[in-house]
Amino acid sequence: MVTFIKIAWRNIVRNKKRSLITISAVGFGLGALIFIWSFVEGAHVQMTENYTSLVTGHIQIHQKGFLQQAKLETNMAGYPALLAKIRNMPSVVAVAPRIKAVGLISSTEASAGVEVIGVDPTEEKKLSRLAARIKTGQFLGETTDQDIVIGAALAKNLNVVLGDKIVVMSQALDGSIASGAYRVCGLMDTGAEEIDKGVVLITHAAAENLFAMAGRTSELAVRIKNVKDAKPAALQISEQLPSSFEVLPWQTVSPVLQQWIEFDEGFIWIIVFVVMIVVAIGILNTVLMGVLERTREFGILLGLGTQRGQIISMIAWESLFLGLIGCLAGLILGLTLSLYFHHAGIDLTVFTAALNTFYMDALIFPRVNFSQVVFSLFLVLSTSIIVSIYPAWLAARLKPIDAIRSL
Amino acid sequence: MPLIEVKNVSKTYVTGKNIETPALSDVNLWIGPGEFTAIAGPSGSGKSTLLHILGALDFPTAGAVIYNGRDIAALPPDEQSLFRRDVLGFVFQAYNLINTLTALENVEYIMLLKSVEPVERREKAVAMLKRVGLADYIHRFPNEMSGGQQQRVAVARAMAAEPDLVIADEPTANLDSKTALSLITLMDELNQEKKTTFLFATHDPLVMQKARRVIWLRDGKLIEPQTEI
Ligand SMILES: Nc1ncnc2c1ncn2[C@@H]1O[C@H](COP(=O)(O)OP(=O)(O)OP(=O)(O)O)[C@@H](O)[C@H]1O
Ligand SMILES: [Mg+2]
Repeated sequence: MVTFIKIAWRNIVRNKKRSLITISAVGFGLGALIFIWSFVEGAHVQMTENYTSLVTGHIQIHQKGFLQQAKLETNMAGYPALLAKIRNMPSVVAVAPRIKAVGLISSTEASAGVEVIGVDPTEEKKLSRLAARIKTGQFLGETTDQDIVIGAALAKNLNVVLGDKIVVMSQALDGSIASGAYRVCGLMDTGAEEIDKGVVLITHAAAENLFAMAGRTSELAVRIKNVKDAKPAALQISEQLPSSFEVLPWQTVSPVLQQWIEFDEGFIWIIVFVVMIVVAIGILNTVLMGVLERTREFGILLGLGTQRGQIISMIAWESLFLGLIGCLAGLILGLTLSLYFHHAGIDLTVFTAALNTFYMDALIFPRVNFSQVVFSLFLVLSTSIIVSIYPAWLAARLKPIDAIRSL
Repeated sequence: MPLIEVKNVSKTYVTGKNIETPALSDVNLWIGPGEFTAIAGPSGSGKSTLLHILGALDFPTAGAVIYNGRDIAALPPDEQSLFRRDVLGFVFQAYNLINTLTALENVEYIMLLKSVEPVERREKAVAMLKRVGLADYIHRFPNEMSGGQQQRVAVARAMAAEPDLVIADEPTANLDSKTALSLITLMDELNQEKKTTFLFATHDPLVMQKARRVIWLRDGKLIEPQTEI
């Protein structure tokens, strides 16, 4: 056995050029896989992070039925106690209450239908980036409940500027007409049209007042440590709440985003497939050449009484060595690239417009996912071994006499 | 009692569109233990074919090769492979050695296939290399040795595992006459020392003179005793 391993190893060293070609094919293949996967992973994390931190949050808690039909009647009473309970759960970073209702907003010149969201300014800042997206003016404050934040696009439609008064009209929980006048304190520009044209923010206290929702709220938005853990974290939270609540990870709240990501991951498999074919051809080519070139040597080995299985194991060892060295190179290449760009970011400014539609920034930060690296490694290594079966079979099938004659 | 016996062996090669080339026709031959025998004959007379069949490297079209009461020509390939490993030693015309192994490792190779203990293997291989005059070359790779030295390694490898029969197909063909003579002299000495049977093909008269028996082939037929070519 040791001798066959030795022969296999020496064959690799003997033909440095050929070995280098194989090692490069394996190395580039694995490097590319690791890098592509971490790029996509980074893009997806950014996408979900941007999307969820804009308004949805990682997890939403409602009275059951709110997701299906958002009504004021579907609310949670005594929410401050609930808030305190959830905030103390281990995976939770921040939690903020929101009252959500539809209404009509009017300036002196025009009016528009909008979603009115009552938010707790302090808590909301810990959870979403709405406050950070104020372009002019400022976010809602703790001191007054008369302020309103509207989208920059909406302000343009209504022809209002900072400091103007606008009126919100809707129906309150008790069925009465809800009507309130607010002063525009900030204009937000989130890049998402549905928000910039269709959402207005008032304080939670103002909303409780406006909609006759004292002590009640429509939604608790939760931020957890890692957006990827949304599903298990949601399950964990729901186990500790009465069954009259629905606890929804972002995937359930925004199935469209989830579908984008799944589509993207499906697309990656095509790339993986292509890369594997390239790797397979590279290895097959060199191993096959190596076998054909050594026909006489195999003939001698067979002639001396070497068993076919031993010849096959020799070629398998050769491929394994090449695969292992190639994988080591690929690992270094892929991880170096991924980790470097994880810090430096990949600048895709050229595609800014398209990226924004998908909640991505111009800078993408690849993220190395351990299980994807292990999987790529497994994939490339097993390909390199499987591909050696054919040349090995060819060599073992040789008749020693033909090989010896082919001098 | 012969060591190995060739019985009514014929071999016809079929190539291309049913072109038949008769290489051996109805050859009968006894090889006794301890012989030092040359197979002679002009090019194309069937020397290599006969040696390949004797060496279980090729199958006859008809006839049998009897060793120890068994027809080794009728064995399945894996058993032929064991027969070659356990009974035979081979020296081919050239490029006999495994390029990736040193002289010592080449000589050890067959003993390794036979699972000889490492220490014993090494001792025997070193002793054999010394015996063929290559004490200073044991760690050389084949491409670091001359053709004559490589053939000596091949002889050492064939002998190291103590075979019953060494088959050599024109072992001196690629060597100059002085080197050729010293190689055949070495084989002769080993034959007398170890009583190993040697069977070698050659058309070199100098080499032939060293043989104690010469078997003549012409057009695939055996001519014995010696007649003119
Ligand atoms: N693989 C083969 N296919 C077809 N014909 C073959 C094959 N091998 C040998 N022959 C033919 O068989 C005959 C005997 O060949 P063989 O090689 O045994 O002769 P030889 O005595 O060893 O010749 P040389 O001295 O040139 O080595 C020749 O006519 C040769 O052309
Ligand atoms: Mg010949």
